[in-house]
Amino acid sequence: MILGDLLGTPVFDDDGVRLGRVADARFVVDGVPPQLMADARLLGLVVSPHSWSSFLGYERNSLTQPWPLPALLRWRHSGSFLVMWADIAMIGDGSVRLRRGYTAYSPALDGDGQE
Amino acid sequence: MKRILGVALGILTAIGGFVDIGDLVTNAVVGSRFGLSLIWVVGVGVAGICIFANMSGRVAAASGRATFEVIRERLGPRAGLANLSASFFINLMTVTAELGGIALALQLATSVHYLLLIPVAVVAVWLVIWRVKFSIMENVTGLLGLALIVFVVALFLLKPDWGSLAGQALAPAVPDEETGAAYWYFAIALFGAAMTPYEVFFFSSGAVEEGWTIKDLIQSRINVLVGFPLGGLLSVAIAACAAVVLLPAGIAVTSISQVILPVAEGAGKLGLAFVLVGLVAATFGAALETTLSSGYTLAQFFGWSWGKFRRPAQAARFHLSMIICLLIGVAVLSTGVDPVLITEYSVVFSAVALPLTYLPILIVANDPQYMGGHVNGRGVNVLAMIYLVVILAASLAAIPLMIVTGAGS
Repeated sequence: MILGDLLGTPVFDDDGVRLGRVADARFVVDGVPPQLMADARLLGLVVSPHSWSSFLGYERNSLTQPWPLPALLRWRHSGSFLVMWADIAMIGDGSVRLRRGYTAYSPALDGDGQE
Repeated sequence: MKRILGVALGILTAIGGFVDIGDLVTNAVVGSRFGLSLIWVVGVGVAGICIFANMSGRVAAASGRATFEVIRERLGPRAGLANLSASFFINLMTVTAELGGIALALQLATSVHYLLLIPVAVVAVWLVIWRVKFSIMENVTGLLGLALIVFVVALFLLKPDWGSLAGQALAPAVPDEETGAAYWYFAIALFGAAMTPYEVFFFSSGAVEEGWTIKDLIQSRINVLVGFPLGGLLSVAIAACAAVVLLPAGIAVTSISQVILPVAEGAGKLGLAFVLVGLVAATFGAALETTLSSGYTLAQFFGWSWGKFRRPAQAARFHLSMIICLLIGVAVLSTGVDPVLITEYSVVFSAVALPLTYLPILIVANDPQYMGGHVNGRGVNVLAMIYLVVILAASLAAIPLMIVTGAGS
């Protein structure tokens, strides 16, 4: 499947309650590099209840300028959360279902999001 | 000494390269209908382009990325593509207008019908893009464009009532025979003409073409902060000439020959010769810039190799896309549609698309991962946010005003 098709897909919990849409996919680059760089590993999906538009980089907490853009963009994505790949029960045609008892992590990245 | 010469050359080309067909037509139309009562918009627009051109140049120098690469990276593929479609469409419209402008300017010089001159104009533009070095292209068209200073000279020779001109400029009021809606419609057109997004695409891509580093930023800042305002003064002179000669005569500008009429009246045959050279240089230079901008935006979005610093064979898709754009421009012009009309629409649609270009630049200019220590200062951010609000207001009001006023007629 193409990752781009997943963006904007509605997300439901185990009881069928709609939680929002897939706004982003979070990757980590870790592990032993096979050659020059380690492969990117899919950590999980960012689910946003209001908008699946881009965070425009403001998921990084270190970005605070120019006022009032960061506040506006964070407000637009308030209530969004990160679910780990392991908490995703099923990626179906046009919908994503999460496992019962999934953990919602904060989608924010501390610092420059490098660690 | 070499450095001073470099700065002087940069300033001169920035002045000469500032005015394009959009500025020429819009300023003359506005001058002939509203006098100098809208001239404050030129000031607002020039200050805006100074802020954002400077910012895009800094982003290019610090991150090595031109504006559309930044837009593609920050907005993602979907919103980026929507942005590209709008920006590219408007840019294509401007290419068409500039090509028509070259042909109309050549028609004034040769009395050959402009439709016959369009092939000449297009082949010349393409040859320069294909063969001529970036810096030579910039310097020659910029310096020849300085001939438009004749508008300033003509204004003095016309011996206008300076007090009345200053009165119109300093206490702006809607003339009796015009409506408020038309006033604001042309305010947006002037703003769009001064801040056209292609200037930023071209400026930032040019920075990459010429391999700017942080060290070159001081010179580019001087070029922008001195050259653009002086270029804006040329725009003011064009409007003032129209206000002095055409407004009292009741002539509302609808053609290029009317734009240069005041110069002929004020500065005679010699003035006419200068204005024709300036007209051809300005439209030709802008045709090069807009055509290159089409190639830059497409190539930067799709990740093709681009730039005049590469041999054409190494940037084949970049060059091919520009050839196609030029051919589309020719096809549109060959239907006989009036290039002046295309120009008038292109500046208003430019205003509509302004936020698409300037918001991503502002966001990235604040991102330390792109910019390192060269992120925007607080003062620049405050000014840029004020402009973003103005830009957004102009963008939202443009289409409704276009409908209400019947495109200003």
